Amino acid sequence: MRKLLAAVMAIMMVLSCVSFAAADEKPITVTVFRGDPGDQPTEDNRIYKMIEDEFGIKFEIEFLAGDLDETLGTKIAGEDFPDLFDGGNSAEKLINAGALINLLDYISAEKTPNLWKHIEALLPQLVNENGELFIIPNYGINYHEQVVNACNGPAFFIQKQVLAWDNYPEIKTLDQYFDLIERFIAANPTNANGAKYEGFAILCEDWRHFCLINPVQHLMGQPNEGEVYINRTADENGKYAVETFIDKPYAKAYYAKLNEMFNKGLINPDTFTMTYDQYIAKLSAGTVLGMFDQTWDFGTATAALETAKMYENTYVALPLVYDEAYGFGAIEEQYLNGGVPNKDRGFGISVNCEYPERMVNLFENLLSDRWQKILQWGIEGVDYYVENGRMLMTKEQYSVRSDAAWKMANQALTIWESAPKKQGLQDDGNTWAPADQGEILQLTMSDYDKAFLAAYNHGKWADFFNAPCELAPWGEAWQIDKAPMQDDYDKFLLIQDQQLPKIIMSKNAEELDANWDAFVAEIKPYADIYAAFMQDEVNKLAAQATK
Amino acid sequence: MTSAANRIKPMQPAKKWRFLKTLWDQKWLLVMSVPVLLYVCLFNYYPLWGWRYAFQNLDLYTIKKGADYIGFGNFEWLFKEKYFWLGFRNTLAMSLINLVFGTLASVLLAILLNEVRSRAFKRTVQTVTYLPHFLSMVIVVGMAQNMFVSDGPINTVLMNLGVIDKPIWWLGEGKYFWFLVGLINIWKEVGWNSIIYISTMTSIDPTLYEAAAIDGAGRFNRILHVTLPGIKSTFVVLMIMNIGHLMEAGFEIQYLLGNKQVYDFSQTIDVFVLEYGIQNNKYGRAIAAGMFKSVIGIILLFSANFVAKKLDEDTLL
Repeated sequence: MRKLLAAVMAIMMVLSCVSFAAADEKPITVTVFRGDPGDQPTEDNRIYKMIEDEFGIKFEIEFLAGDLDETLGTKIAGEDFPDLFDGGNSAEKLINAGALINLLDYISAEKTPNLWKHIEALLPQLVNENGELFIIPNYGINYHEQVVNACNGPAFFIQKQVLAWDNYPEIKTLDQYFDLIERFIAANPTNANGAKYEGFAILCEDWRHFCLINPVQHLMGQPNEGEVYINRTADENGKYAVETFIDKPYAKAYYAKLNEMFNKGLINPDTFTMTYDQYIAKLSAGTVLGMFDQTWDFGTATAALETAKMYENTYVALPLVYDEAYGFGAIEEQYLNGGVPNKDRGFGISVNCEYPERMVNLFENLLSDRWQKILQWGIEGVDYYVENGRMLMTKEQYSVRSDAAWKMANQALTIWESAPKKQGLQDDGNTWAPADQGEILQLTMSDYDKAFLAAYNHGKWADFFNAPCELAPWGEAWQIDKAPMQDDYDKFLLIQDQQLPKIIMSKNAEELDANWDAFVAEIKPYADIYAAFMQDEVNKLAAQATK
Repeated sequence: MTSAANRIKPMQPAKKWRFLKTLWDQKWLLVMSVPVLLYVCLFNYYPLWGWRYAFQNLDLYTIKKGADYIGFGNFEWLFKEKYFWLGFRNTLAMSLINLVFGTLASVLLAILLNEVRSRAFKRTVQTVTYLPHFLSMVIVVGMAQNMFVSDGPINTVLMNLGVIDKPIWWLGEGKYFWFLVGLINIWKEVGWNSIIYISTMTSIDPTLYEAAAIDGAGRFNRILHVTLPGIKSTFVVLMIMNIGHLMEAGFEIQYLLGNKQVYDFSQTIDVFVLEYGIQNNKYGRAIAAGMFKSVIGIILLFSANFVAKKLDEDTLL
């Protein structure tokens, strides 16, 4: 009897050991680098605690401090790689330097079903020429459908009060837009505090110069392709024609219009020299009536205006085009593009990582429905509640999510932002992002905005726009890496940065023509090289995607 | 022959002995100079080994494997690049402006303070003028940007005074850029740079002033004939040192205050190295530009020293 008992106990002990080892691998600390500045989570962050409890993984996070390219350069030169490496907007450098492992060695339908399902359909577009994948896009992979409540990308923006002042007109064209701003400023040269209004601002600082150089493609009815105009119907050989638009007559029309506005005093020359901080300060003060920008680029200003309850000074995105009188045909706007996978942005696993398989498994598990709910919504009963199958939040539950200190203690933001994630709709019809959920949108919208939308008979801000088009086989052309022609590309941009403001500030029509011709002559050699390069790349990507 | 050899031979041990004795006498001085020597070797001479990269096709991806030597390719690119020469011109121009007006301003401030009788006033002015030295350039440039915008305080004051009738676009016109940089540098550094002149002036023998006064020299003549000659040697030494640094017009101020509208005037060699070399991952070009800068700097230093020698002044070397 005693022998039997001993045997049973021994077996139990062995079994418990085995099961223990299987369920719980030894705890590890994973080093993480993020290619943008950020805040460290608190020590007692409850979501990181859950990750640690379940997977035995702790994170040691390093955020970018200083210049991204320099930082990556130093890391590459010293082969000082963290385990999880997010190279931010210069992740190509890491890939080219061979700092990351090919994830496809670890991802398969059997081993990692969630990840496989996540990328399967997009795989031809995501892999490089050798069929390798180093980074799973951190954003832009939608389930069921893309939820578009508002334009988060490029558009012409106008203060809500300007539209309200003119009794909510439909503004569809560039001329209507500037005409409205002109009339508004003539009637209201200053705001209630006596500060002068500025008609139209153009941010030109560093890489944010897209506010200056990008609008023309949209006026011609194209979503954001960067600096090229692409004919979206292929020729008989299946090739797409690509050209730079900035040196074409249809671009001159836009800058001539800006010149007209400049000479009417609606554009302040300081706009060409202001820094991003000055721009945000101006927008937050509510004195800029309109600008071309991308919604995410001035989020801090919008937040500041809303905090100050200056709802009439916040902006509406409008999809403007040239009207027919310009002679470029009848143009239908297409600002919103289909879901764009944020290619080569997000976490890669570095070659120095000792446990790549565990890292892939971590992302696999975090991509499960249960973890996605925890990462995006939080814990049921604490961060949200469910009513009739709908995931909902109270006003307090939602508003606390924009509190920076709360986020650091209650969300695993740093990991979530760079990891693969589910967007769009859940299987039960709830949205993956709380901010997309219709009920929550209504709950958080100010009365001013509700009345504003009602005046237009719109349910959401995106109703000002046409529905997103299908994503082109090359994705969005601005994502193409220009490193092989960096010198010429830099010159191409520099000439635009220098000359376009001069054109806008021309004193009269003759000077404008002279400035424009000088600009076209100067940029032509670089524009030709750039267009040829982009034509090759776009067609390469398109061929790869349809393979 | 033999007599000569005999004459030299006994000398040698004595000479050697004397050298070793001096060495032993100064042993503590030698020990003290070791850290400095190490510092110079490590931070000034060892990096010179990196100059070989100027002749290589070096970028981040090849830095470990070792890059290919491409001869003078980087220099060829450099000398063909328009912005390199503009950077060279702007560096020299802004340095000269800083040197001439910066030195004039600090000498003038020092003289004025030297003439002030009230110690409290002198101290206050001195403190107020040198405090900006401790501000970071980022803050100084941020202040300047807000002062000089079209509807900013500078334009408002000038317009109310009737000096100008419409706002000047200070930050966007290339022709103002050098002037702005000079002005900001003077504002920031005038107090600090005048300290050395003030201290030199306090060491001038007061009897010289008394003698000059007895000879009937007024205040202005005393400045001209006692104060100025008194600071002459300090002035020359500082001048030679500064001329050696002419190629370093600074980096922060141009990088921060510059924008694409004044690019042709704001680009200095240092900014060029950052933008066209480091940010573009072309380290060979960056080092080639740096080498060029160093060579010019050495030439300038030696020429200044030579001129000073000819003028029979104290020299540095």
